[in-house]
Amino acid sequence: MDIRENLAQIGEELKQELAQTDASQALEALRVKVLGKKGSLTALLRGMGQLSPEERPKMGQMINEAREKLTALLDEKQAQLAAREKEMRLAAEAIDITEPRDLPPIGAEHPIQLVLNEVLSCFEGLGFQVAEGPEVELDKFNFELLNLPKNHPARDAQDTFYIDDNIVLRTHTSPVQARTMLTKKPPIRIVCPGRVFRADEVDATHSPVFHQIEGLVIDKDVTMADLKGTLDAFAKRLYGSDIDVRFRPSFFPFTEPSAEVDLTCFNCHGQGCRVCKGTGWIEVLGCGMVNPKVLEMCGIDSSVYSGFAFGIGLERITMLRYGIKDMRLLYEGDLRFLKQFR
Amino acid sequence: MKVSMKWLKQYADIPMTPAEYESRMIMTGTGVEGIEPLGEIENVVVGRVLTCRDHENSDHLHVCTVDVGEAEPLQIVCGAPNVKEGILVPVAKIGARLPGGVVIKKGKLRGVESQGMLCSGPEIGVPVELYPSVGTAGLLIFQEEYPLGADVRPIFGLDDTVIDFEILANRPDCLSVWGVARETAAAMGTELKLPEIKVQEVGGDIHDFARVDVLESELCPRYAAKVVKNVRIGPSPAWLRQYLYAAGMRSINNVVDITNFIMLETGHPMHAFDLSKVRGKHIIVRKAESGEKLTTLDGKEYALNGTELMICDEMGPTGLAGIMGGEESEITESTKEVLFECASFDRASIRITARALGIRTESSGRFERGVSPATVMDALNRACQMVNELDAGDVVSGVIDLYPQPVQPATLTVSCVRMARRAGVDIAPEEMEKILKKLLFQVERSGDQMVITAPAFRQDVDQEADICEEVLRYAGYDRIPITHLRGETPMGGNNDKGTRQQLIRRQLTGMGFYESMTFSFISSKAIAQLGLPKEDERNKPLMVRNPLGEDTACMRTTLLPGLLKTLATNIKNGNENGRIYEMGTIFDAQHRTADGLPTELPGLALGMYGNVDFYAIRGVVEALCQQAGISCTIASCDEPYLHPGRRAALKVNDQVLAVVGEMHPDAAARFDLSGRCYVAQVNLPVFFAASRPMGTVNSIARFPAVNRDLALVMKESQQVGPLMDAIRHGCGALLEDIRMFDVFRGIQIGAGNKSVAFSLTYRAADHTLTEEEINRQTEKALKIAKEQFGAVLRA
Repeated sequence: MDIRENLAQIGEELKQELAQTDASQALEALRVKVLGKKGSLTALLRGMGQLSPEERPKMGQMINEAREKLTALLDEKQAQLAAREKEMRLAAEAIDITEPRDLPPIGAEHPIQLVLNEVLSCFEGLGFQVAEGPEVELDKFNFELLNLPKNHPARDAQDTFYIDDNIVLRTHTSPVQARTMLTKKPPIRIVCPGRVFRADEVDATHSPVFHQIEGLVIDKDVTMADLKGTLDAFAKRLYGSDIDVRFRPSFFPFTEPSAEVDLTCFNCHGQGCRVCKGTGWIEVLGCGMVNPKVLEMCGIDSSVYSGFAFGIGLERITMLRYGIKDMRLLYEGDLRFLKQFR
Repeated sequence: MKVSMKWLKQYADIPMTPAEYESRMIMTGTGVEGIEPLGEIENVVVGRVLTCRDHENSDHLHVCTVDVGEAEPLQIVCGAPNVKEGILVPVAKIGARLPGGVVIKKGKLRGVESQGMLCSGPEIGVPVELYPSVGTAGLLIFQEEYPLGADVRPIFGLDDTVIDFEILANRPDCLSVWGVARETAAAMGTELKLPEIKVQEVGGDIHDFARVDVLESELCPRYAAKVVKNVRIGPSPAWLRQYLYAAGMRSINNVVDITNFIMLETGHPMHAFDLSKVRGKHIIVRKAESGEKLTTLDGKEYALNGTELMICDEMGPTGLAGIMGGEESEITESTKEVLFECASFDRASIRITARALGIRTESSGRFERGVSPATVMDALNRACQMVNELDAGDVVSGVIDLYPQPVQPATLTVSCVRMARRAGVDIAPEEMEKILKKLLFQVERSGDQMVITAPAFRQDVDQEADICEEVLRYAGYDRIPITHLRGETPMGGNNDKGTRQQLIRRQLTGMGFYESMTFSFISSKAIAQLGLPKEDERNKPLMVRNPLGEDTACMRTTLLPGLLKTLATNIKNGNENGRIYEMGTIFDAQHRTADGLPTELPGLALGMYGNVDFYAIRGVVEALCQQAGISCTIASCDEPYLHPGRRAALKVNDQVLAVVGEMHPDAAARFDLSGRCYVAQVNLPVFFAASRPMGTVNSIARFPAVNRDLALVMKESQQVGPLMDAIRHGCGALLEDIRMFDVFRGIQIGAGNKSVAFSLTYRAADHTLTEEEINRQTEKALKIAKEQFGAVLRA
């Protein structure tokens, strides 16, 4: 049998054996059997010594070509096996993707804080700077500089907690207005969020502690239309572009003219429903042009500057926003409630 | 303020539906709380009992036939004791509606069909004020003849509508029918038809009947009086009783009703004295003398402290000025001479006295908000006109009117352009003038300038901004356009504290914490439950002078009681694995600001329970510190409400940044906490001061790190932290990190010992470390461990 035939036979045998091999171990044995030191192809190479010098290069080339071919066959099979083995491993690793597991812990900010964040972001975008003032406040800032002298009946609307004759728990965030005007020069554009206190017993719609956000703008030629525009932007940002604002005449000692502001009912979009008591409007905040007397008391020339102020009750807009029926839920801290704001 | 629609319509037409009227009034600044029919009855008519026989199956029921003006009489079963043939009574027909939503249906009573109900006064909501002979037992029997089948509502004045106005604090003049009529006429564009006031006097001279001295003219700027003699006390006519009823007031007698009518109609509270009971017939307006007493009309006795403004006679007090009259000089059946008082009192004085004595009347409410002295005589004369009309007595000629400093009407000059600019609405000067005149202002306009005189009843107008509001509310707030702020735009944004607090909130959210909010005030008891040493400043909170109760008595000096209450609520409600925090202000009353205010500090308190331990809560605080670039040391702490073996202070720069620990079982029990709870309190000012702003970034090391693990055996009592700190400091720059990864206890290492495994990471910035360098470092670490802490390499 000449080498050529041998090579053909080796190739044929390998093909047959490869067809029956289905494990990488067996494949490796096969590789050794053919290409290893004692393998059949290696034996042929060794037998080349008996060939004539003329035949050797020719045969050598033939054997090398055969080796490449056989190696390719083995490699191809190896790749096939590896792919199949990976597939089997992946199949074996399959899991029940519907089994429940604990989630990574995630908390939530308080709903009032969530709404405040949105309100602040809206006003910050309009160029308002956040300002703060003390929660325990001088009567002077809480009332007197806001045109609410001692024994003024308008103080009745704000049942006040007193520390002593001169110190109160602030009944609104408006004293921050006075503090700001006394220390800053116009133009002023601030919002002041914070806690306020009124001597109301706790029930579904009252709490002795609640939150407001106050806004104040002082500049030359500020008009009530600018106030309406600012609040319109706020309303649309918070509740949607189909929400309009309506001003109604009202009275606050520190603004003149004053207005109560209604927004289109976001439950019924103005059609009239239970939430808005059929009116299509929801009362949300009070506002007005800063009373010139307040400007003067706070050292701002009312013949040069004008301004507006507004005060928003955060509990109210939070409750409206999320459909919360009972204010007490906001202060109990029950996780079954708080978890709904994740 | 409730007003009869009939009364109001006497003075101003309302040519629109109630809903349209309500809306128009609201949009011009007069709030309307509701418009309700006065009587809640329908289909109740006048009927005559034709026959009345005993019910065959009852010992108290009667079977009647009743003529209600229809072809056939109705058969009605009635149980009233006073039912009899011939009487005229209210009959609720089938389908009638009665107060409380009762609907009358056809029915059988003990086998006899009944086609309606004969009614008593209470059954149709008619009190004695509306029909004096209403009686209390049995049927209401009409005293006069009325057509059979006629609706009964007009007979009682129940065919009226009551409007409940919500009057703004600056418009006390609108606490009157005339006031809302003026606003109504202006809003409707209809004519204001106030009555012409004419008084018929019988001669004589008031000064022969009475004398008045005002000793406190500051507190009583005007005091006017008229005298009526030959007084004929009796019931008021039906229309007057009905108006008072609609306003929610009781009818007393014609003279007292006149004073209440005048108050409701004009806004001027009045008082009527029985002149024969005014000792010396001399009214003296003065402050009370300390120790004086007065029994008011309602029979209550008040001891006076000397600050109250009183109406007195020569023997002593006879009324609380502007608040309530005295029992002594009350109008009675036998009153023959009456002195009518119409005055103006200082708002603050009335308010202080009314509050101090705990009395609030229709009168004091009006005086507190301001009654114009300028219009006093209109009210007083109108009262006398009513005396004429009701024939309640003879008005003596002359008036006592003590008004030393007449109030001048407010006159101001305003600019139309400035007002339009303030409003942001283009309102022409002509329109402004027209509106103001409609509101009874006197206006003299030349071009842009208007000289304006406010009507006498308006005390709330003294600057251009006030006029601007008057113009705008009638021009229409709906005309205000939407414009945007112009001019220099300041940089908007949050302040530093707010930004940092928000960052902490976000990080805590990511760590599974829920934010809670509790009240800023707590009870002293809640603070005491912490068991702090007596001298601790948290035991000395800022006290509220007028708390609602014990729970709102003092301002919180720590967030902990509020947080613990929240944790207890959640544990009680079965909520598992709680992680809750509160960020809020705490109040330090011991360190005051220059203004004398308490120091307000931002605080943060965290609480956890469930599948957690001491290290979990400490880790949360450490994680917050890490984010803020703060490296803190762990030190002991002695907060008594924490477990003595599981509490720590985290310190930075020798200041306590946070206190963390497990709740002491005793304190936990005091706060109703079942199970172990872990809490932390972060001192945010210290936290913020130590926070590192985002600085430069270190480049990443290019040379490899090498790890060496060491297991060191040490005494159980040896704290790991100080040992790690010592190695960290002792090994120098090549030691990049030291980490503890295991603690082992067992007999192999001896009782009372623990084996702690550390992983040390070495790295040089500029070369690959040699084996020799690494070994030298490790030797150094082992030496520190052995020499300073008695910790040896585990065999």
